[in-house]
Amino acid sequence: MHTLKRTKLAIFLGLLPSLIIYIGIAVVPIGLSLYYSLFNWDGITDKVFIGFDNFTKIFGDDIFWLSVKNNVIIMLTGLVGQIPLGLAIALLLNRSLKGASFFRTVSFLPVVISSVMVSLIWGMIYNTEYGFLNGFLGLIGLESWQRNWLGDPSWSMISLSVAYIWQNFGLYMIIFLAALQNIPAEVNEAAELDGSTGLHRVFRITVPMIRSTILVAVIYSISNSFRVFDLVQILTGGGPAHQTEVMTVYMYNAAFLSRQFGFGSAVSILILLFSLIVVSLVNKVGREKDA
Amino acid sequence: MIEKRSPLASIVSYLFLFLVAVFNIVPLFYMVVGSFKTESEHAASPFAMPNALQWENYSRAWEVANMGTYFMNSLIVTFGSLIVTVFLGSLAAFFLARFKFKLRGFTYAVFLLGMLVPIHATLIPIFMIMKNLSLLDTYASLILPYTAFHLSLTIFILEGFMRGLPKDLEESAVMDGAGIYRIFWSIILPITRPAMATVLILNFIYNWNEYLFALVLISKEAIKTLPLGIASFVGIETASLTLQMSALTIALIPIIIFYLLLQKQLVNGMTAGAVKG
Repeated sequence: MHTLKRTKLAIFLGLLPSLIIYIGIAVVPIGLSLYYSLFNWDGITDKVFIGFDNFTKIFGDDIFWLSVKNNVIIMLTGLVGQIPLGLAIALLLNRSLKGASFFRTVSFLPVVISSVMVSLIWGMIYNTEYGFLNGFLGLIGLESWQRNWLGDPSWSMISLSVAYIWQNFGLYMIIFLAALQNIPAEVNEAAELDGSTGLHRVFRITVPMIRSTILVAVIYSISNSFRVFDLVQILTGGGPAHQTEVMTVYMYNAAFLSRQFGFGSAVSILILLFSLIVVSLVNKVGREKDA
Repeated sequence: MIEKRSPLASIVSYLFLFLVAVFNIVPLFYMVVGSFKTESEHAASPFAMPNALQWENYSRAWEVANMGTYFMNSLIVTFGSLIVTVFLGSLAAFFLARFKFKLRGFTYAVFLLGMLVPIHATLIPIFMIMKNLSLLDTYASLILPYTAFHLSLTIFILEGFMRGLPKDLEESAVMDGAGIYRIFWSIILPITRPAMATVLILNFIYNWNEYLFALVLISKEAIKTLPLGIASFVGIETASLTLQMSALTIALIPIIIFYLLLQKQLVNGMTAGAVKG
């Protein structure tokens, strides 16, 4: 097609700007994070090389492990909350149902709203004095159920999880709906001839047909759970007393509030590692089952 | 697929869907209603409807919260990154899709890798880079990372589309002696419009909603984007919930209109973005 000598130059010039921006700002910093993680550094004065001391310090910090635990809770919320809810709605909407497009529109709506807005809106729902939830409980005579939803350590993670489900389940609904609509009509006809109906058909035929999509959704949900930041930072800031802290907030606080850039970098490397390990494990297990 | 169902199953289905819809709408509805109340009305009962619509909440929120500035900054940053990303991304995709050269596969793989990188792993170095370049508190400090992190998905989608175009598309143009960039601009780019729409919408929504980079890289009030500005406004203006609600509603309206107008493209784009990213 293009065999001229000049094409080589054209290709080079065409790719160069993208490569410079992408490598300079998305790739090189990962290396830098790894490098910074070996230093004691406040970002201003000279770096002091300390080897793997940052990592030792992190692993010895109870608050870090608390944040890991909270990340696991967020991950499970995604897996047992968002995905099944999304799947259930997708299955219901995959039939000729009056008002299906309304339900689809409404379910997806939170997905387009920024997580900042989602967090601020839920902050108002959970507001102890003037919030929706306590107001509603008061209205139906359940004053004894009223809580400081975000400030009570035994409820704060649950409150966060509900907001997290609200924010994202619509995305999974749409992903599953797209997959369901791709199932060939013959499959359903064959199932009908076999006398397979109702829930039996859903679990034996429909769900297995979209297995690979479910796997993609699971992986996406897991990797997403490691990236949760806005919701926690805005709703609780990790409080009360670190009870809702997740790894990203732990990292942000270390780096940008306590000015421990080396320590924060070490945390960010761990976030990257953890998420890569979990995602590749799930990917491996999922594909093995496929074979 | 049409299937007969028992009336009971239908009722249960509808009830379930209805509850989910209520779950999704109530928080937004609550906020919009609250935004029209006086402070004392809201304090007295979060549930009662307002006696009179307090439109001045909106003008006050617009003023007090600097909404005009935030909107302007968000527009500049969002469209600035969007234009750079889509222009550079489509150029790169064009060469990756329509040419054979030694490092093609490698370059493509490097770009795709970006979809796996969580931005948190790059946050501290990017802060240092921007600081050393004296770019903190400038639009460029956001436009650069937004572009860098969305090039992967942009190139992935556009490359896939361009690769699928028939091979002989450029041939006659080459015969006529058209240069490579001319072919890109007047032949390939116009045909790529459907994929371009997806990419534009995705970039728009991601950039418009981004918070973490803005939080770290911007501290000047005059440069704050909408998510950052509104988060700090709510953090400061804790005294007046109704004012907060008005500010949030102002920020919410454009995105809801955008969603309702472009629902199909937006939903398809974000699904593609999630599944491929």
